[in-house]
Amino acid sequence: MLPDFASVNPETKREALAFLDSLDDARVIAGGTDLLVDMKRGESCGNVVDIMNVKELKRLSVNDGKIIIGSTVTHAAISKTVILNDMAQSLSVACGWVGSPQIRNMGTIGGNLVNASPAADSIPPLLIHDAILSIESKDGMREEALEDFIIAPYETSLRPRELLASVCIKGLPGYREGYRRAAKRAAWAISRLSVAWAISEDDDHFVDVRLAIGSCTPMPFRPRDVEEFLKGREKNDPVIREAVEIVAEEIRRISGDRPSFVYKMPVVKDLVQKALRG
Amino acid sequence: MYIGNETNRIDALDKVVGRPIYAEDLSVPGALFGCVFRSVRPHALIRRIDASAALASSGIVKILSYRDIPGENIFGIIKKDQTYLAEDRVRYVGEPILIVLGQTEEAARKALRLIEIEYEDIDVISDPFISGGSRTLIHEKGNLLSHRKVIKGDIEKGFDEADVIVEHTYTTAWLDHAFMETESGVGYPDNKGRIVVVSSTQNIHYKQKEISKLLAIPEENIKVIQATTGGGFGGKLDVTVEGFLALSVYHAKRPVIMRYTREESFLSNTKRHPLYIEYKTGARKDGAITAIKVSIIGDTGPFASYGETVCLRAAVHATGPYEIPNVHVDSKMFYTNNPVSGAMRGFGVPQLAFAHESQMDEAASMLKLDPFDIRIKNALKKGSLTATSQALHNSVGIVETLKKIEPYWRKRTRESGKTGFGLGCMYYGIGNTGVSNPANACLTITGDGKIALHTGACEIGQGSDTVLAQILQEALGLKMDDIVLVRGDTDTSKDAGSSSASRQTYISGGAVFDAAKKMRQYLDEKGFYKGRSIRDIYNSEADKKLLEHNGFFDPPTTPVDPETSKGSPYATYAFATHMTEVEVEKETGSCRVKKVYAAHDVGRAINPKNIRGQIYGGIAMGVGFALMEEFIPGKSGSFDNYYMPTSMDMPDVEAFIVEDQEPTGPFGAKGLGEPALIPQAASIVNAIKDATGVRAFELPCHIERLKILLEKAKR
Repeated sequence: MLPDFASVNPETKREALAFLDSLDDARVIAGGTDLLVDMKRGESCGNVVDIMNVKELKRLSVNDGKIIIGSTVTHAAISKTVILNDMAQSLSVACGWVGSPQIRNMGTIGGNLVNASPAADSIPPLLIHDAILSIESKDGMREEALEDFIIAPYETSLRPRELLASVCIKGLPGYREGYRRAAKRAAWAISRLSVAWAISEDDDHFVDVRLAIGSCTPMPFRPRDVEEFLKGREKNDPVIREAVEIVAEEIRRISGDRPSFVYKMPVVKDLVQKALRG
Repeated sequence: MYIGNETNRIDALDKVVGRPIYAEDLSVPGALFGCVFRSVRPHALIRRIDASAALASSGIVKILSYRDIPGENIFGIIKKDQTYLAEDRVRYVGEPILIVLGQTEEAARKALRLIEIEYEDIDVISDPFISGGSRTLIHEKGNLLSHRKVIKGDIEKGFDEADVIVEHTYTTAWLDHAFMETESGVGYPDNKGRIVVVSSTQNIHYKQKEISKLLAIPEENIKVIQATTGGGFGGKLDVTVEGFLALSVYHAKRPVIMRYTREESFLSNTKRHPLYIEYKTGARKDGAITAIKVSIIGDTGPFASYGETVCLRAAVHATGPYEIPNVHVDSKMFYTNNPVSGAMRGFGVPQLAFAHESQMDEAASMLKLDPFDIRIKNALKKGSLTATSQALHNSVGIVETLKKIEPYWRKRTRESGKTGFGLGCMYYGIGNTGVSNPANACLTITGDGKIALHTGACEIGQGSDTVLAQILQEALGLKMDDIVLVRGDTDTSKDAGSSSASRQTYISGGAVFDAAKKMRQYLDEKGFYKGRSIRDIYNSEADKKLLEHNGFFDPPTTPVDPETSKGSPYATYAFATHMTEVEVEKETGSCRVKKVYAAHDVGRAINPKNIRGQIYGGIAMGVGFALMEEFIPGKSGSFDNYYMPTSMDMPDVEAFIVEDQEPTGPFGAKGLGEPALIPQAASIVNAIKDATGVRAFELPCHIERLKILLEKAKR
């Protein structure tokens, strides 16, 4: 059963920000596939600001290689938008894996980011695209890199009265990119482990390699050491093997050795290796 | 001809358009809502309960404890050892202690949080292996619930004759039935002062008897009605909400509704028994199996439920559908403080099929034989003796099911290094084990010129209503429009036994057939088959009692010997072969089931469409059993962390029906409900071995277990 709460349905961003500014104990609902579950489990909040009718937040635009995704664009929309499939394939693949059709139709990119689950499918692809978030409040606007926005599992730098308005990423033309994950069943499952990659290479060298790993460490992360290591390296078995070991080291440096790594470590290694080989 | 018709199920249209009122949908004006206050400790003495704040909270009408039970605070379908409401001690997490009756669901659930309870923990037995030797007793008579043996031939001699020995240990997990509808119902006093309970159930007459004892009220003053039921799979055989509803109505004297939340259902419902199976097989070079020795240890939780049945059924079916000259099976079931395990589709046989089919493949591999050939060589035939030395004279279709699958097996080709194929065979005794388990049915002629079928058989989604109607139609030569089905009500029907053990088509079908023979003779005498209308016959019969014809069928079985299990525990057996193709993603350990060929000997297909539906459903459940489903006490609490297959995990299925007719069955029919599931997990595990070279000895073989096995094999 849902606890009692009041809700408002702003139709413009200005209205939404005004509500957030004036209401105490307010939570933003952007689809509700996480918030409503938490509330049914007993989490209370006095006011709910439903931003799903705010047109400005629903837009998805491409300009000059830059993609701006409004925070209430759904996973379903992202996974089916042709231009995203072209310019940020890993993201559209990842959003296609989120939950079930019902969850993808309701759940939004903004909700996924603000919930900040270590297993969020959208985060690793956004990390490799160096996503910048646009955060607004009645007093103004600020931008923050996604990498800095998530400060702990399920915790972000978003302050009360602030609203995540949009996510900006750049296309990576000439890169081959993708997203793979391990899950306990074929659909409607939380990722046990995920890897997003975008790789630019010439005939036999890696030019630029971007990797992001989810569901492994407390927050999805980019293994920067291995990205650095691979810059300009020859693409061959010994290099790839070494790269895989560097990834494993970076993971251990972040989380130490966890019981789940009996499973996760070999999977990360195999997925990264596959991604690098292409 | 009505038998063998691809008739739509008679409840299909209504269910598709959402018309039926399920137990969960029931509401009665002025009803109270009942909630159960449950133990949070696995094993503890109850020192003090303070429900005063809860009782004083707004909207709370009554709080009931075991002291409010006028009759016996005990139930159990075989052995009565389970309390409705805990007295001075709790034995598992989730055990009911109090019932809170509120004006609304919200009030009742809120009040649960206000109840204070003081426990004194006692030693927890969480493992069947320490249960037997423990000084802590879960029940006075000791922690061993049941010990069964199956002995045939000379086991030592059998192993001496073997050229190879295959010996492995297999383990399985707790599983939840996860039926679509959680335990739900309403109770109310009727205008005759009787207590009526309407619930989601698999057996109305059993529940009527238990409520009668609970309330110390004669059975005729208790009426149990089956609401349209959203699945059972064995989980709605034990008393769930029914006892609480009856007790609540007894005290409140007004209607009461109960509906478990999904979390509560996970916590309190019985589970599939986890079994630990040590299995030793001896075989000669030519593939003939000379001996099988099996030791089974099971965990039934703190109460018997169906633990004894599972202990015996697992033992009796341990050798699979093969003729084995020398057999020694030792099966023990222990009490623990884990969740209560009970009936779940197959009563221990799916677990054993996983073991015996893995053993068959391992033996074939050691002997360099084709897995198909070793199975057909050892398969039961007419005249074979089963492990309990029962001679099979009729309807032994295992070889036929193998032959249906053979062309697909012979021409199988691996698409890539990731794919593999596996076989699974099974046999399954239809009906309860070595005990009388009859069904009644009654036919009457109604004033509007129809034949009414009165049956206590519960339609739980398996299709019994349609099948029984088809049997009746065939026996009397009547159209569906001439038949009325009156069922699911203890007032209007006699006991048909539970919808369990794959028994309703065979046993209730037999009772309907028996009644129909009498009715046919009556109708014939009255000229119906010469064109006289039923209405006319009704009107002309002065003594309306003559319009009623009762049917009865009890399968001919013999009790099994307590020391050796020698005997004929079942009148007939179902047989099946499944062949499964899987694809394994070696990087992640995920296994996709791509295609299943399934052949089932059903005796006679009353409704082929329904049979295929059962097979598809059984396969879906087998995919879950093999690859993902696992209830971990204290961790699994909802669908958030209890994974079961979705439609995306479902393979393509090609189903084949074998009809080796059973002479004692209605038109030759046997049963199928559980067989559809039983060989599936085994065939998946065998296919994984074929694809990857690794074998899972522990179920479920989920992504993590499979990946770890693959990693170990690399070294």
